[in-house]
Amino acid sequence: MGALAEILFGGLFQGSLYAMMAVGLALVWTTIGVFNFSHGVFMMLGAYFAWQLVEVGLHPAAAFPLAVLATAGVGWLLQAAVVRPLIGRANLVLVVVITTLAAGSLIENGVLEIWGPRSKQLPPLVDGNTMIGSIGVSLHQIAIIVVTPLILGALWMFLTRTRLGLALRAVAQNEDASQLVGLNVTALYGLAFAIAAGLACLAGIFMGGYRFMSPVMGADPLLKALIVVVFGGISSISGPIFAAYLIGFFEAACSYYFGLYWTPALLFAVLILTLMVRPEGIFSSRGRGLA
Amino acid sequence: MTPILTVEGITAGYGRVTVLNDMSLEAGRHGNVGFFGPNGHGKTTLLRVVSGLLRPKAGRIVFDGEDITGKSARAIVGAGLIHVPQGNRIFPDLTIADCMSLGAYSARARPHEAENREKVVALFPKIAERWRQRVRTLSGGERQMVSIGTALMSHPRLLILDEPTLGLAPRIKDELCASVLDISKGGVPLIVVEQDIEFLLELCRQLYLINHGTVATEIKPGESIAHAEIMSMYFGQHQDH
Ligand SMILES: Nc1ncnc2c1ncn2[C@@H]1O[C@H](COP(=O)(O)OP(=O)(O)OP(=O)(O)O)[C@@H](O)[C@H]1O
Ligand SMILES: [Mg+2]
Repeated sequence: MGALAEILFGGLFQGSLYAMMAVGLALVWTTIGVFNFSHGVFMMLGAYFAWQLVEVGLHPAAAFPLAVLATAGVGWLLQAAVVRPLIGRANLVLVVVITTLAAGSLIENGVLEIWGPRSKQLPPLVDGNTMIGSIGVSLHQIAIIVVTPLILGALWMFLTRTRLGLALRAVAQNEDASQLVGLNVTALYGLAFAIAAGLACLAGIFMGGYRFMSPVMGADPLLKALIVVVFGGISSISGPIFAAYLIGFFEAACSYYFGLYWTPALLFAVLILTLMVRPEGIFSSRGRGLA
Repeated sequence: MTPILTVEGITAGYGRVTVLNDMSLEAGRHGNVGFFGPNGHGKTTLLRVVSGLLRPKAGRIVFDGEDITGKSARAIVGAGLIHVPQGNRIFPDLTIADCMSLGAYSARARPHEAENREKVVALFPKIAERWRQRVRTLSGGERQMVSIGTALMSHPRLLILDEPTLGLAPRIKDELCASVLDISKGGVPLIVVEQDIEFLLELCRQLYLINHGTVATEIKPGESIAHAEIMSMYFGQHQDH
């Protein structure tokens, strides 16, 4: 009973963080067809924005949404600077890997310059601890487990129930046809990047509330998000969401039974096996397309 | 009647390759206009330039008195020039209903959404039965109906169709041709690219033979020309290179 509760809780918690990160990566891939390697930097930058706003005296309830908006704005700008000018190139995917990596490392160094290397911490979403059965957990973690599905659900509703969401899905499928119905393709690209950056900021706020922040805190989550989208299939956003939770549970179970040390190796073994059997990912169909 | 579309000295291509060479033509003075000609000689390229998908290297395009050269595709859709591209790929994972909402996306088309949807349903009852079906699961003919239906939702002042009957079985093709004639009777001026000369002669009074990226021959209304003559022109042009 204790084992099950611990695995379930750990899986839900990690899965939430992974889902929050991976969904943004998938959103950008499906709409624009590029991998954004500065996605981890958005997460870090978002956490620092939030920290700064709390530091100047704002209540977290105001500071956190503001940080999300600011990070979304940075996402938009970064897209306009290092992605949009390259659209139409034959080797777009590769070039954008390089430009987003470069921009990300610039931002990382900028953050180090401005805020210094000393670790910082954000206030938790909810203060306090509680017991689930025999395990002690923080209310912050519980809040993350509850809030994440709500936000992902809202994103889902936006993409499937609104005309703007429909436009984003359309651009993901056929750019020429999108232009011929009068969609503003460049603005929709910007929007996809902005939403992704905003979601990454949220992940950063979640993480900064229970772990120390540093300018390189986004590197590992980016790697995890990449694994999640490869595992779940990059051609939709529902695939990565399921995969995020699946990997969360897998890791929780591994570290319970085999220890933290073996978990990454086992995860990669499963990933490689999956890709040998289903190269397009476990939850994916062929072709790009949101939702 | 003044021409609804004027193409003046357009030169365009892809990269260093020039496809259209100083092309000039006029459409709308005598009703619908048809383009025909051998494969790969620039008909689709011309339409892409007209609708703003491809920027010309030189020349001018005037739509209903307004210079639209170099404008964005979005602005051109906003002006009411609607282009149904060749190959009806549209949005494979969207439903027919989604495509129709997208067709009515522009500010110009939005107020007419309900009225245009009724027109599309009346014109293509077949796709109305499958409103919630994804485009990728439709037949080629049905997909073409969705493409044209989506364009009608954009409330066109000029509708451009690029090979609407390409690759369709004869029965479906006849149905589609009848629908296109209906659209024309409904008052929307058309520019149609087609390989089927019979259909073009029925639909249009003015034809252009496009060859080597330029207008090889114009057939004006009144210059009734025999089918055999066109065919010899068609293949004659084809043989001399
Ligand atoms: N995206 C592109 N990049 C490079 N070349 C292209 C591109 N699209 C078309 N072309 C070339 O431009 C030329 C004209 O093509 P276009 O599609 O305009 O011909 P078309 O008259 O419409 O032919 P069809 O009757 O087969 O549709 C062809 O030689 C084609 O290979
Ligand atoms: Mg063509």
